[in-house]
Formats: sequence, structure tokens, C-alpha cells
Amino acid sequence: MGNFFSSMFDRLWGVNKELRILILGLDGAGKTTILYRLQIGEVVTTKPTIGFNVETLSYKNLKLNVWDLGGQTSIRPYWRCYYTDTAAVIFVVDSTDKDRMATASKELHVMLQEEELQDAALLVFANKQDQPGALSATEVSKELNLVELKDRSWSIVASSAIRGEGITEGLDWLIDVIKEEQLAA
Amino acid sequence: MSTHTYKKFESSESGDLPDKMTIYQSCMSEFNESQINAKKCRLLIARLLRLLANGETFPETEATALFFSISKLFQHPNDSLRQAVYLAIKELSGISEDVLMATSSIMKDVQNGSDLVKPDAIRSLTAVLDESTAFSAERLLKSALVNKHPSISSAALCTSYHLLPIAETTVKRFANETQEAVVDLKPFPHKNIVGDYYPNSTFITQYHALGLLYQLKKNDKMALLKMIRQFSDNNMLKNQLAKVELVKLVNEVTTKDPQLFIDFQPLLNDWLSNKFESVQLETAKLITNFATRNSRLISSELFAAAITTLQSLLTVPRTSPKFAALRILNRISMVSPEKIVVCNPELESLINDSNRNISTYAITTLLKTGTAKNISSLISTITKFIHDVSDDFKIIIIDAIRSLSLNFPNEWKSIVNFLIDVLKNGEGGFKFKNNVVEALIDIVSFVPQAKETALENLCDFIEDCEFNEILVRILHLLGKEGPSTSTPSLYVRHIYNRVVLENSIIRSAAVISLSKFALSKNDSTLTESIISLLKRIANDQDDEVRDRATISLKFIDSARKSNNQEAQVFIESKYSYDLSALESKLATYISSDKDSFSTPFDVKAIRRFTEDEAKAMELRRKQDQFLKGNLENGRESTPGFTEESAIADSNENSNFSGPSLDDHEQDLLSTKYVDELMSIDQIKKFGSLVNSSKAVALTDPEAEFIVRGVKHLFKENVVFQFNITNTLTDTALDNVTLTCTPENPDESQLEELFTIPIVRLLPSEEGACYVAFSKSEEIVMENFLNTLTFTTRELNQETNEPFEGDEGFQDEYDIDSIFLNAGDYIKSSFVGDFSSTFDELPNEEVAVYNVKENISLQEIVDRLIVNTSCLPLESTQYASSDSNSHTLKLFGKSALKGSKIAVIVQLIKTSKGIAMKAQGRAEDVTLCADLVNGLM
Ligand SMILES: Nc1nc2c(ncn2[C@@H]2O[C@H](COP(=O)(O)OP(=O)(O)OP(=O)(O)O)[C@@H](O)[C@H]2O)c(=O)[nH]1
Ligand SMILES: [Mg+2]
Repeated sequence: MGNFFSSMFDRLWGVNKELRILILGLDGAGKTTILYRLQIGEVVTTKPTIGFNVETLSYKNLKLNVWDLGGQTSIRPYWRCYYTDTAAVIFVVDSTDKDRMATASKELHVMLQEEELQDAALLVFANKQDQPGALSATEVSKELNLVELKDRSWSIVASSAIRGEGITEGLDWLIDVIKEEQLAA
Repeated sequence: MSTHTYKKFESSESGDLPDKMTIYQSCMSEFNESQINAKKCRLLIARLLRLLANGETFPETEATALFFSISKLFQHPNDSLRQAVYLAIKELSGISEDVLMATSSIMKDVQNGSDLVKPDAIRSLTAVLDESTAFSAERLLKSALVNKHPSISSAALCTSYHLLPIAETTVKRFANETQEAVVDLKPFPHKNIVGDYYPNSTFITQYHALGLLYQLKKNDKMALLKMIRQFSDNNMLKNQLAKVELVKLVNEVTTKDPQLFIDFQPLLNDWLSNKFESVQLETAKLITNFATRNSRLISSELFAAAITTLQSLLTVPRTSPKFAALRILNRISMVSPEKIVVCNPELESLINDSNRNISTYAITTLLKTGTAKNISSLISTITKFIHDVSDDFKIIIIDAIRSLSLNFPNEWKSIVNFLIDVLKNGEGGFKFKNNVVEALIDIVSFVPQAKETALENLCDFIEDCEFNEILVRILHLLGKEGPSTSTPSLYVRHIYNRVVLENSIIRSAAVISLSKFALSKNDSTLTESIISLLKRIANDQDDEVRDRATISLKFIDSARKSNNQEAQVFIESKYSYDLSALESKLATYISSDKDSFSTPFDVKAIRRFTEDEAKAMELRRKQDQFLKGNLENGRESTPGFTEESAIADSNENSNFSGPSLDDHEQDLLSTKYVDELMSIDQIKKFGSLVNSSKAVALTDPEAEFIVRGVKHLFKENVVFQFNITNTLTDTALDNVTLTCTPENPDESQLEELFTIPIVRLLPSEEGACYVAFSKSEEIVMENFLNTLTFTTRELNQETNEPFEGDEGFQDEYDIDSIFLNAGDYIKSSFVGDFSSTFDELPNEEVAVYNVKENISLQEIVDRLIVNTSCLPLESTQYASSDSNSHTLKLFGKSALKGSKIAVIVQLIKTSKGIAMKAQGRAEDVTLCADLVNGLM
């Protein structure tokens, strides 16, 4: 029995296991900033991402394989090429960019339709909370129509990548959900 | 992976390719693993690359899938895996559009990668960047350009070079960094770690930087001059290739502006003794090439020094410099063999060089420098050795012999013997044998003394010749030349043998050839036997052979019975058509409406040449070929940096400098001009066109409006055609006309009839304006002063139409005068034996000139050839620059009457100028006097 349990545990959480996480969202939302905030704990100067950045980071004894894809219109069609084996999607929204909430919402829902992402958990960052006039997490949630999401673990967290607020809270929630789900499965 | 399985799978030596689908599947599974095995993936990529290198491709979906799985390997930090990934991306960039997605990842490596992968990352940027993304890589590239590590800097330079056509505006901003990279000597970083080995730097970065800097500055002459000045100082360039590029840069600058050459002479002289042999060679090449084009602008000391450098390179033990020096000397030998006679001892010692390529070049060069005295001994040396070299070199030797036969017609015996020997006894493929036959055909056509011997030997040769094409050519030649020989029946026998023994292609050719003997010499027994032979052939089993025999019989019959001219022409064609014109006319005819097929194709509209005219053109083409072949070969290095500029250069030539146009192009152009001319109703009324001159430049090639003139001669009219090019970018010219005023209005015998202006000439367009005169049937010679008149209209960039309400400015522009001279009444023509023809002509005229202009003998010769429209014979069109005298032999026929004219011009250079004595002989007294007295 003990043997069986430990082997199953190994399979899920063993040293070799890595979790694939995608960071998506419109251009300029702060995806790359968040990725490096997570990896090196600092704010780096970024350029619009043409393609992707990928970093492996350890978080709470877990190895996360984090893919930050560019959000420009020309790059969005390629998102789907990276969906396979994804445990979770982090969707970043620029809370000050009211004009493009609808676009963000559309992209989010289209993405979640994808077969390959049916089991992926969703964490939304309502980013740039440090800016005056930023919509609150609740408002962003409304704009994105998150309540409509069925059969999916999701959460929305207010964040500021610049100040480092909300990021770890969000990620903690995400890890917990993934652990739970995989154990349940 | 064990060595065993590795071998089995890879077996690179067996040449088997790995299976495409297996590789694809393994890539897809291996690269998408969450745990990447770097070593395995690297091997897989290597196999994939091997497939791609062998020309295998993947359909788009597979290529895309491959790319995305490869892009996932960016998550693994292994340097050597990363290098493999770059290579794969580079290869896939040709097949898959998606490589854009690798941009950020590669740029990150450029910024943060190790020194090992940085250069590779930079180079792979070329495959992924486009105009907009290049902009975002600007800062990255700039800092890499000035990086102290030579590999990183070189990579950035090469990438920028390749990005230039993709993202010009971005790369144009790299000039300062690039300049810095040329100047900065970058050694490899030596860390004090045991076993950390870096080789000494060759400073190749300088070469890359210079290449890029040239691209950035190439349109700015002052900047190029500054570059040369700066980088030739103080031995600033350490890299060998960079130095060679600098030499090429000088070449480029002096080719564009020959007047600058004089300032570079000391520098070039230094470079001739540079420590790098390649620099010496490049410099010698530059000097000698320049000298063929601008002999007056170069000091004889410098030229001699270049030859001395080449001479000493002939004796170095290393093969490649020796070979390169030899090639340059070979080129010189084609234009001015006398200049390299000093190298003959070295050349002779290379004849037996163990490297056959070298010995071949040595011998062909010697052949060029050969004189009537040593030709036969040279030829006997070659005979011993030609059987040992490859076909390519045999062909080079044959070509050398071929030009020899035209230059030394009196040596025909040993030349013909040699050619026949290699033809009959030599091993060799089609191309080689064909070249030999072509050389013999030349001899038959242009060296009358040798004709019969050559033909007889060709007859022997076709007894067992394995190549259909060659047999057919020889049969055609026999048919063309045989009937006029002393023993036509000899050839008939040989030709008929072919009909009995060969396949249908050859039989068909033989039939036509036979039929040409039927009407020759009014020898009725011969005619009868030809007819009976043809009748026999008319039962041949092959359709084509039968048809040809039958139709030939018909022609012969009607030609004899009713003296039918048309039938006669079919058998012995006395004319050949202007083939390029015929081709283009036929093409238009075929592609035009179906309806128009109801009117038959009008062959009369095509220019025809008599046999002599055709030969004259052929000979002139050959002469030019030898010379041009040489210059063009010289060019391969001339434009220096890119092919692009070579193209630009040649365009420049064809646009601007009339007389140097390629002959074929010239033909096409004149056909086009004549077509346009004859489509004008007013001009059509003048009747048939008698003669058209070549186009002559009437303005500077750099003028805003470039004008070139062509003179068209009709029986009682003259039409001047002015081709005007508008080089302005935003201004149209309206109502463009020319006013031609006779220099002596009171004495003018020409009466202006009408002018046809150009209604509107848009920017960078060429248009033609015509001025027509009436004249008497006699030869009229006059000078005209020309003024170009037009109204300038500024154009609205959007509509390309003039602004409304803009009246424009009237403007005038004086251009060079146009001369109607005796040469315009002459067509060049060929004659096999100039001296006896000259002696036989009845009327003589002699004139003496003293030319005070400071020009070379060659320039005078060139001018005389153009002015007289005659054909230079016996290779007298090249004046040696070493000698103070020259004799030019010219031959032509009256365009109006077809009468012959021959001129001998003797030139002697004195301290006061050039003394010139012209002695003309002709059937037509007036033409002779007019030509000889109006040479200058
Ligand atoms: N004020 C504020 N600015 C932020 C925050 N997060 C990111 N930014 C800024 O937003 C800009 C864009 O950030 P990136 O991280 O490059 O955006 P991205 O989502 O990666 O954009 P793409 O790569 O084009 O898809 C940068 O100037 C960041 O400094 C935030 O929380 N507050
Ligand atoms: Mg980004």
C-alpha cells in the first residue's frame, strides 16, 4: 500500500515532474513583466514579445515550466501551437485598458474553447492596479464574463507586477488547485 | 546510445538517408517531452538537417508542426543543443512562415547567451527578422557590432549585411558602429585557464566590416574615397581579405572615374610588393585591366611593375598564385600580347608543369604571344601534350588556336594539320569535337587559301564521326562551300556516301547539301549525276529524306528549265536573314490575333544580308568576342563587392554609351529603331531604307537629357533620329523637338521636310524625335548643329500628370552636332584576300592628315572604324600601345550601289601628333574621294 502510494506520488510530484503553465493576454498587459517577477523577483525592462519567452522556475518545491507568449495580433494565432500538456493558463489583463476589455474577453473565451485546454485551470490577473483609474478585479471579472465559465477552476486576482503585489497570491491559488485536481483524477 | 546502434542508424558513409517519416515522428515525440534529453534532441536535429540538406522537404503542416516542436527546445539551456536549434530554424525558415515566433527567444540569447552561442544566435537572426522586427533588434545589433569579441562582432556584421535588403532603413543607421569595427583590431579573449585555447585572430572582422561599410556607402563617391584613404594608411588593415577588398574598392572607384587613377598610382605600386600574394595579384589584375580600357591614363612604369609582379609569381612553388598570375597574363595576351613577351621564358618553363591546368594556360598564353616565326614550333609542342589534358582545357587550347588562325592566316598549314590531327585522333566528347569543327569552319570561311585542304579533311572525318550534330554541320558546310571549289565532284562522292550509310537525320542533311551542287558551274554532267542521285534517294524509306529529295528535284528542274529565280534562291541561298529580327517578327506574328494569320507573314520586311555582309558581321563578332571575352573576364572582379553593382554597371553601359554596345544588342536595337521608323507614314513614303548608322552619343552620359543620334539613309532622303532619355524624376518634357541647322546654311544641299516631335516624355522614359530632309541621289556630306527644345512640366506625384494650370517653362539645350559623312553611305563587308582585292580596284585616292589632338593610336583606329563604317581586316583593329606606328586595313561596300571600297591607313606617332596617310581604292570614284578626304 505504502509502496503504491509513493509511486503514485512520484508520478505526480516527483522530482522529474514539471508543470507547464502558459501566460497569455493582449499585448502590453504585463505578461513578460510577470514572468520575470516570478523568476528573478525583479522588474525588468521589456520589449514587446515577438514569439515567446520560456523559463523554468522552482516554486514551492515544484518545477514550473512557464511559457509567456506574445500578445500582438499577429502572434495570437500561434498561441494554439503551445496548448498541449498545459496544466494552467495565466491570463493577464491590463486593467487600465478599458477600450480593449471586449477584445481580451473574446480572446479568452475562444482560447478556452480549445479541446486541449479543457482540463487547464485559469488564473486571471487584473494587472496594473497601481495605476489610477484601473478597474477593480470585480469589474474586470464582469467585463470578461468569467461567471459564465463552467466546469473549470478559475480565479481572478488583482495584481501589480511593478510593485509585486498579488502575484504570489495568485500563483499559490493556482498551485493548490492543480494539486487538488491531479490528486482527484 | 552505443556506438553500435549509432553506426547502424547513421551509417553516414553508406550514403543512405534516414527515413523521413521516422525522423519526423521521433522529432515530434522527443521535442515535446516534458523532460528534454539534450543529447538525443541534438542528434535528431542533425539527422533532420541531413535530410533537408539532401533536398528533402516537408509539406507545410508538417513543417509547421516541426518548427513548433523545435521551438520548444528553447526551454532547455544546453548550449550545444541551442546551436543545433538555430541551424534547424535557419533551414526551416525557407519552408515555414512561422519562424517569426522564434524571434524573442533568439534575441534573448543574443543578449544573455554565453560567448559560445551568442555569435550563432546573432547569425540566426537573419532567418527570422523582417523589416519591423529588425527595428526592435537595432540596439542589440549595434552593441554586438562593437563587441570586443571578434566572433560576436563578425556575426553581427554578417547579419547586418544580409539584413540590408530586408531592413534597409535600420541597417543604414549602423555606419558608425561598422566604421569602428573596421578600425578596431579584435584579438580573441585569452583567459588564464589551462587548456583554454584560442587561436590567433586573423582579424577577419575587418573584412566583414569593410564589406558592410561598402554596402552602406557605395553610392557616395566621396565617402568611398575617404574609406580608401583612411584604411590604406599605416597598414591599418591586418586581414588579408580585407586588403584585397580595399584593392577592389580602388578598382571600383577608378572604373567609374578613370581620371582618379593617377592619384592611386603610388598606392598601387606599394601594393604590388605587399606581403600577401593575393593583394599583389588583385593589384596586378586591377592595373592590367585598367590599362586595357584606359591605356593613356596609366604610367608605363606602373604597368611594367605589374607585369614584373606577375612574372615573379609564375615562379613561386605554390600552385594557386601561380595559376592566378597565369590567368591574368592570359587575359592580357588576348589584347596586347606584345606586353607580356618578357614573361615568355617563365611561360615556357611552365609548359611541362605537372599541373595540367597550369601547362594548358601557359601554352595558350604563349600561343597568343606567338609570332609568325614560332607558331609552328609551339603547335608541335602542343600536339605532344593535348591528348593528356581534360576536355575543358582542350577547348581552351582550341579556342586559342582558332584566334591564331584569324590573326596569322599565312600559318594555316600547320594550324589545319593540328586541328585535323586532334579531330581524327584525339579522344574527346561532343563539345570538344564541335569546337574543333567550329575552328575549321572559321578557317574555311575566313582563310580562302586553306579552304580546300580543310574541306577535304573534314570529308575524311565524317567517314567515321559519331556525333550527328557535327555531321550535320559539316554536311551543311560542304554544301555551302563545296560547289565553288575546284573539284566539286569529290565532295559529292563523300556526301552521297553518307546517304547510303547513315541514319535519317544525316541523310536529310546530305540531301540538301547534294542539291546545292546541282546548279554550280554550269557543269551539266555534274548536274545530271546529282539529279540521278536525288531520284534514287526519292525512294528512301524515311519521309523526311524523301520529301527533301523530291522538293530539291522540283527546284532544280524549274530553275533549269524556266530559269526560275525563286527556285534558284532556294537551292543556293545567296542571302541570310537578320535572325534576331526574324525571330522577334515571327514571335509577334504568332502571338497576334488569330485573324491576322489570314495575311501571310511578310518576310520582305526582314533585313537580309549578302554572304559577304554576313561574313563581315560574323568576323566582327568574333573579333569582339576575343576582346570582350577578355574584358568581361576581367570584370568578374571589377565590380568588387556584389553582383548587383555588376548589373548596375552593365546597365549603365547599355543606356549611355552607344558605340560600346554589345553587338547583338546593337542589332536588336537597330532592328527596333527601323521598325519604329518604318511605322511612320510620312517616312514610309521615302521608299526602302538604304543604310542606318550606329547610335552615337550626342550628350554627356550624365546629362539631364541624354540624346543619342541615328542617321537613316534613303535613296533621296535622310532622316535623323534623336533618342532622348529624360533622367529627371519629377518633371515631364512636353513637345520635345530638335532644330537641326546646317553648319554652312548657304551651301546646304539638304532641304528640311518635317520634324516629328515627342508629345510628352515622362521621367526615365526614352522617346524618339525625327527630323527628315530631302537630298539628291548623290553622296551629300554635311554637319548639323542641334538644339533640343522642350517645355518642362512639373508632375503631380499622385497622378503622374502635370499640375493643372501649370504652363511649364520653355527650355533649350545645345547638344553635339551630327555629321553626315561618307561612311554613312558604306556598309562593312568581308573579303578573304585583302591585298589582292585592294590591288585590283581601279580608282585610287590618297589623303594625308596631321592629327594634333593628344590621343592614342588605338583611339584613332577606333574612330576611323566608326567613321568609315568599314570592317577592319587582318586583325588591324588593335594598335599596339608600344609601337609608334600602325597600319589599318578597312573594307566595305557602297550602301547605294554595292560597289567595293578598300582603304589602307598608315599611322605614325610623332612628337607633333599623329601623321596619317590614307590610301583608298574603289570601284566608285566619288565615294572613294569622299571617304578618303573626309576621314577626320
Ligand atoms: N504601471 C504598470 N505597468 C506595468 C505593469 N506590468 C507591466 N507594466 C508595463 O507594461 C508594459 C508592457 O509590459 P510587458 O510585460 O512587456 O507586456 P506583455 O504582455 O509581455 O506584452 P507583449 O509581449 O507585447 O504581449 C511595460 O512597459 C511594463 O513595464 C504593472 O503592473 N503596472
Ligand atoms: Mg511580452
